[in-house]
Amino acid sequence: MSNWVLETKALTRKFGKQIAVDAINLHVPKGSIYGLLGRNGAGKTTTLRMIMGLIKPTSGEVQFFGKSLPQNTQQVYQRVGAIIETPGFYQNLTASENLRILARLRGIHRPDAIQYALSRVGLDKEPQKIVAQYSLGMKQRLGIAAAIMHEPELLILDEPINGLDPIGIQEMRSFLIKLRTEKQVTIVISSHILDEIEHLADHIGVIHQGKLLEEITLTELRKRNRKYLEFQVSNQNKAALLIEQHFQISDYEVRENGVIRIYSHFGEEGQFNQTFVANGIEVTRITVSKDRLEDYFVNLIGGGSIG
Amino acid sequence: MVNLIYTELLKLKRSQMFLISIIGAATAPFVCFIAYLKAKSQQPDIPILFTEVFSQTNLFIDLLIGVSLYGVITAYLFNREYIENTMKNILTIPVSRTKFFISKLIMLFIWIIGMTLAAWLLTVIFGLIGQFEGISLATSMLALKEYLIGGILLFLLSTPTILVTLLFKNYVSTIVFTLVLTMVNVLIVQSEYIALYPWSAVQVIATKSFIPEYPPEYSYISILATSIIGLVAALVYFQKEDIH
Repeated sequence: MSNWVLETKALTRKFGKQIAVDAINLHVPKGSIYGLLGRNGAGKTTTLRMIMGLIKPTSGEVQFFGKSLPQNTQQVYQRVGAIIETPGFYQNLTASENLRILARLRGIHRPDAIQYALSRVGLDKEPQKIVAQYSLGMKQRLGIAAAIMHEPELLILDEPINGLDPIGIQEMRSFLIKLRTEKQVTIVISSHILDEIEHLADHIGVIHQGKLLEEITLTELRKRNRKYLEFQVSNQNKAALLIEQHFQISDYEVRENGVIRIYSHFGEEGQFNQTFVANGIEVTRITVSKDRLEDYFVNLIGGGSIG
Repeated sequence: MVNLIYTELLKLKRSQMFLISIIGAATAPFVCFIAYLKAKSQQPDIPILFTEVFSQTNLFIDLLIGVSLYGVITAYLFNREYIENTMKNILTIPVSRTKFFISKLIMLFIWIIGMTLAAWLLTVIFGLIGQFEGISLATSMLALKEYLIGGILLFLLSTPTILVTLLFKNYVSTIVFTLVLTMVNVLIVQSEYIALYPWSAVQVIATKSFIPEYPPEYSYISILATSIIGLVAALVYFQKEDIH
């Protein structure tokens, strides 16, 4: 039995001679929020469409809960909710009528399922309003309601914050985190916005030009890219002692060749320097790093901005 | 399948297309009614018979209005799932593409038969208002039978229109396609080829006005072959197409 809720094996899609998705191996752990990050046109949506069976892979395999598609489609899709790009609804129907269609086709018989889903996304206040009168943000929320109505174990969201205002983005973010925390729903979210992924995901897959460049946990990524003050000193041990005793700092790292990194107290490099010198430690270099997460991704995908 | 058909019906709630289709269905009976009223006012001594009104209205539906009107409805039923981006919601539930396709066909059949019945009923009502002569249960039922045969055959011939809709995913292509079909109808209505061309053979079969040169089998085969080829092509295409 696989440990992954969702896994792809060398998933590939070609359109003529163009390779849109090139042998992607995704691994989504249970209970995680997995961010699929990449520029527009990187292959995120094509990957998600293949995962959801909307387009057929040229080669490769998709597995949900350890079971392969398309043999187990009927069984596994019952456990999955998805929004691929803009969620679509029948414009002449109300939110609950739209959900009734999906509930009926999903075989959901719980009478409160629609009300539950609408109330979770705050769309239960205007039951008579037809979808044509909805704002883009409301449609996105209705998309979420449709995706969670059957209480899926895995939620796949393709660019869910597109078109949302800042408050809507904040609400969506809180909602997804709550969903993961309270219902233990695994979430896959694609975005071209680094900030969004950074705020939500605990696992990140970086996709560029159809290739999955890296899969990494956010903890590892932050560790690799944390902001720090770096000092090159003549006596590492003495400097470390001062950092702990004088400044009461435990979040620091002693590296090779007299280098010490401190991951807090930014802007206080002058005081550190003064203290080191006053205690007979020679300081040969002080470096203040920037928050490098964005630079990291820009370098990873070969320049330009993420968006 | 029952659920799919139920949802197809629910999708039509508040739909303007439903109203438009009823207006479309009323066009042939209304136009014929006005034409006969005019004839009656010009020559009051010549009685206007119900059999003639039924026949002319049916001719109007089968050869002129039916193909385009049912084509628009076909396009609406299939195309709206692409335009409103709902196809991907349905297919990721998951719903089998074949079942989904068949449910659309059933819905189209119900709709076409509904419009056929509406057209027949309106012909009767207009005829009674216009005080046309010779109505009886037998003539009405015979006309209903001819209307229904026409409706069923036009439904069978909707499969190439479905294919065009799936291929181009817009209303314009479908409308142009059905207009071309109708224009050919007009072109050959007076010739013996009326029995061979599928969309005009509908009228030939519905009214049993077969042409001596071509036995009835030719008309039946023409319609069935077109329908089956259209169905297979549309279904295969729908099964294989990527949903974007």
